[in-house]
Amino acid sequence: MSTIETFIEKFNEAVDFQEPVEVSADTRLETLPEWDSLAALGVIVMCDMEYKKTITGNDLSNCQTITDIYKLVA
Amino acid sequence: MAQSVLRNIRYRGLTTCVPERAFSNVQDCPPEQRSERERLVRNIGIETRRVCLEGVVFSDLALVAAEKLIAGLGWEKSSIDALIVVTQSPDYPIPATAIILQDKLGLSHGTVAFDINLGCSGYAYGLFTLGSMLSAHGLKRGIMLVGDKSSNPLSLDNGLLSLFGDAATATALEFDEAAPPMYFNMGSDGSGHKAIIIEAGGQRVPIQPHHLERLPGADGISRKGTDVILDGPSILNFSIREVPVAVAELVEFSPFGLEDIDYFVFHQANRMINETIRKKLGLPAEKVPMSLKDFGNTSSASIPVTINTRLQEALAQGPQRLLLSGFGVGLSWASCILEIENAYLPPLIEI
Repeated sequence: MSTIETFIEKFNEAVDFQEPVEVSADTRLETLPEWDSLAALGVIVMCDMEYKKTITGNDLSNCQTITDIYKLVA
Repeated sequence: MAQSVLRNIRYRGLTTCVPERAFSNVQDCPPEQRSERERLVRNIGIETRRVCLEGVVFSDLALVAAEKLIAGLGWEKSSIDALIVVTQSPDYPIPATAIILQDKLGLSHGTVAFDINLGCSGYAYGLFTLGSMLSAHGLKRGIMLVGDKSSNPLSLDNGLLSLFGDAATATALEFDEAAPPMYFNMGSDGSGHKAIIIEAGGQRVPIQPHHLERLPGADGISRKGTDVILDGPSILNFSIREVPVAVAELVEFSPFGLEDIDYFVFHQANRMINETIRKKLGLPAEKVPMSLKDFGNTSSASIPVTINTRLQEALAQGPQRLLLSGFGVGLSWASCILEIENAYLPPLIEI
């Protein structure tokens, strides 16, 4: 059963921030200080391995919140 | 995908030459970047890289590797029929570096010499090209020099700066009717040619004065027009989509199963990409040697660098069946199954 909660857990693991921050479904990506190209690669791998979905760099640039990314795999 | 069997080709030896100078991705950076670099290192798996001193180029390393290989095999220089250089760091735009090295190595004027412009996929392509030439009868011995000087210590692109290491490798192939067959799987997708590109300096975008200035790109990173641009997400998607499929196809095409392969040697792209490929194929880590940590991404040299530095002991104990798979710039990919037995494989050369 895939939920936004488990997605957020996997997201946190994938982005591997040096200084972890509280993330919720509505968190805007631009407010995350360490949301960068490395974090994006981590999320692409996570979506592929955990959700069998291919997310492109463009898909991610069009996302503003965590929920937007979740919608791509849900 | 193109698949092919190559017969009568013996893998006779491999030498690797790297610069002695090592850069640490965590230590050798300004203190304020250290935390960011630690995270980067954790994810790309690269701790140190070998970087050429100013003025040293790929062919300088390749020359040393080639001399060592030829001497170690005891080959008369006049007996070498072909010299192929696989690089994207040639001495000059023209002529081909292989021809310059024919002369520097003292090989005969009867030598077939040319360059192949490939990067990450280049090792298996080189084996296929040189092996095909030798298996066509007539030529007996060939040397292939593979690698790049990809480091760019003055770059402001942190991702790029911590990724690439320099290395050159020399591989000897010989016609031998008793040699086990080699199996190949190869492909190309030019729709992704912008994923890894140097935009200026060819005929499509002739070099202009502004290409020599660092100007901010769409991603906020300042680069020269002559610097490499990497589109990380595209490369990642390509690699984890194509490589596991290509490897599975090659194994299917060969008479072997995955369990018959002793080691899987992948192009060392970065840890994230390599681990994803490994997991998708269900391979145990001990069968997938890695050289990323100490040498970084060494472009087309990464497969032979890994064989030379991680499989020397195994290869000294007896014959090993390897599956090699390179993928990247082009986009281009090539995989190969081959058996290595009694090959000349001296320790790494550092200059």
